[in-house]
Amino acid sequence: MIGGALIAYRWELRKLIAQKRNWLGIAAASLIPVIFLISIQISKVTIHPPDGPYDTPLGLNLRQTGLALDLVVFKLIGVIGPTLIAALVAGDIVAGEDMGGTLKTILVRSVRRGEVLAGKALALLTYLVVALVVYAVAGVLVGVIAWGFHPLINLSGHQISALHALGLTVVALALYALPVVAIASFGLLLSVVTRHSVAAIAGTLLYALALQGLSALSPIASVHPYLLINQLTAWHDLFQTPMAGDAIVRCLWVSAAFALPPLVAAWVVFTRRDVTT
Amino acid sequence: MKVLSRQARLPHEAPIEARGLVKRYRDVPAVDGVDLTVQPGDIYGFLGPNGAGKTTTLRMFLGLVRPDAGSVRLFGREAAKDGIGALQGVAGFIEEPRLYPYLNGRENLQLLAAFDRGGQGEAAIDEVLEMVELRDRGGDRVSEYSQGMRQRLGIASCLVRQPRLLLLDEPANGVDPAGLRYMRELLGRLSDEGITILLSSHLLAEVQQVCTRVAMISRGRIVYEGGMDELTRAAGRRYRLEAADIDRAARVCRSLPTVDDVRSDHGELSFRVDDDDGLEALVAALVDARVGIRALIPETDSLERLFFELTDEPVAVTA
Ligand SMILES: Nc1ncnc2c1ncn2[C@@H]1O[C@H](COP(=O)(O)OP(=O)(O)O)[C@@H](O)[C@H]1O
Ligand SMILES: [Mg+2]
Repeated sequence: MIGGALIAYRWELRKLIAQKRNWLGIAAASLIPVIFLISIQISKVTIHPPDGPYDTPLGLNLRQTGLALDLVVFKLIGVIGPTLIAALVAGDIVAGEDMGGTLKTILVRSVRRGEVLAGKALALLTYLVVALVVYAVAGVLVGVIAWGFHPLINLSGHQISALHALGLTVVALALYALPVVAIASFGLLLSVVTRHSVAAIAGTLLYALALQGLSALSPIASVHPYLLINQLTAWHDLFQTPMAGDAIVRCLWVSAAFALPPLVAAWVVFTRRDVTT
Repeated sequence: MKVLSRQARLPHEAPIEARGLVKRYRDVPAVDGVDLTVQPGDIYGFLGPNGAGKTTTLRMFLGLVRPDAGSVRLFGREAAKDGIGALQGVAGFIEEPRLYPYLNGRENLQLLAAFDRGGQGEAAIDEVLEMVELRDRGGDRVSEYSQGMRQRLGIASCLVRQPRLLLLDEPANGVDPAGLRYMRELLGRLSDEGITILLSSHLLAEVQQVCTRVAMISRGRIVYEGGMDELTRAAGRRYRLEAADIDRAARVCRSLPTVDDVRSDHGELSFRVDDDDGLEALVAALVDARVGIRALIPETDSLERLFFELTDEPVAVTA
């Protein structure tokens, strides 16, 4: 099982790299923090009273330390930013081969369908991790160049050292990735089921928007902590004094609970269905 | 005392053995109880008009589509039981070969060789690129290939698997005459190397020229199965005769038991004879009757007519 999946994974990466389209997401990930930095630099919004980006968690650190940039931009790109990047690749990864007819070419060789899908899922995960790392590195780099490598005032109003804040940023990034991966796994399912890239991409965006809509419904406020979208801010716990753990633990299992069923469903459908394109 | 070789003691397994294959799309049968046996060494023609169910049958052979009923065994292995293992030693493509347009030809073959898990190295890839005359274009992206080149790369992608059975769905589609000649030669060479081949086509002439056996499919059912020469014999051979005295020639034709289906119109006579002896007897009789023969022309459309009769299609007017 492992051997075939690794072969598929390796070639799936080469295919992702060979398609120019996939570089758009990576390029966007690197440009987003740069664009926000520039717009903050030239904008007229005031820090007293806090307005615009300053009025976000950790927003008061903008212009004070470069380490704030990535974390504040997380809030500004909302749900749509990461969903777009995830959906563009996830929605196409199976459906693109269905439409291009290459699925029938690779499925008559010696790698099982389950292994092909596993290779694709792993390549998708790799892509998302790379996009996030590119985002983080670009944000820290330009942030530090513009505003310096200074201590950060956390959400409880305590000052933490620059190095400590950098370490926490890395952990925050990993936590942020989990719900994004869960959204991507739904995109993978749509890619398998719809057999159409555009439908799968649009469906994934709608799914994320619907989840966001749910998290705004006050009658179900008691379940809000368990909605996928709310896990995008689980990393806030890292920047509290004393550091809380509940939201972080919840982020782990809620993200898994949203990611696994679509993956299993995708596997069930992909390994059984007819390939007729 | 002779010792049987290990090979000889192995149970004889047909490259393809399909029994009662059925596939329905929205309750409409696309394939409706197909039985088919392909023996080692056959160049097997799978002939039928568009929509007859050829592609669907081949998809079931290759495990891309699950039959609603029936079974397929390839060298004795069944997809339902052996999964991808049923395709060991089997390669082929459905409709036109589809490869990754954004990778180059060589990369496509590398990918598929990796997916074959057979350890074929660069040498094998060079060899098949050479074989399909794409050696110096292997570094170009497939999106820049002509249709003929894609077809050849498709064949290469099958050969890199080193198959014992090759399944080709309408390999002649969209190929120019030079490409067709090349394809025929290549299939002959592969067959000589011991590869069993099944190719589908809606063109009788294509199958007639290369195949040793043939099955005809119409509306999802096999309507004929047999050797190519038997089929040719069954169709008989039609000739056209141009003569000075057409009425006398017609009388001679009608008087001979080996000549059938005599028709005469517009000063031209056409008829059917079953074999060379019958034809020689006719010519001798015509000479005896002092009929001045101006031309005796074999008609090529008799097999075609049989094909249309068998497949229940309206007879096309052949040029
Ligand atoms: N995926 C499909 N969905 C619905 N009908 C199909 C599908 N594939 C084939 N068919 C139908 O099944 C019949 C056989 O098609 P096919 O196997 O492609 O024939 P051929 O290859 O001989 O032209 C046709 O009537 C076709 O319309
Ligand atoms: Mg077809």
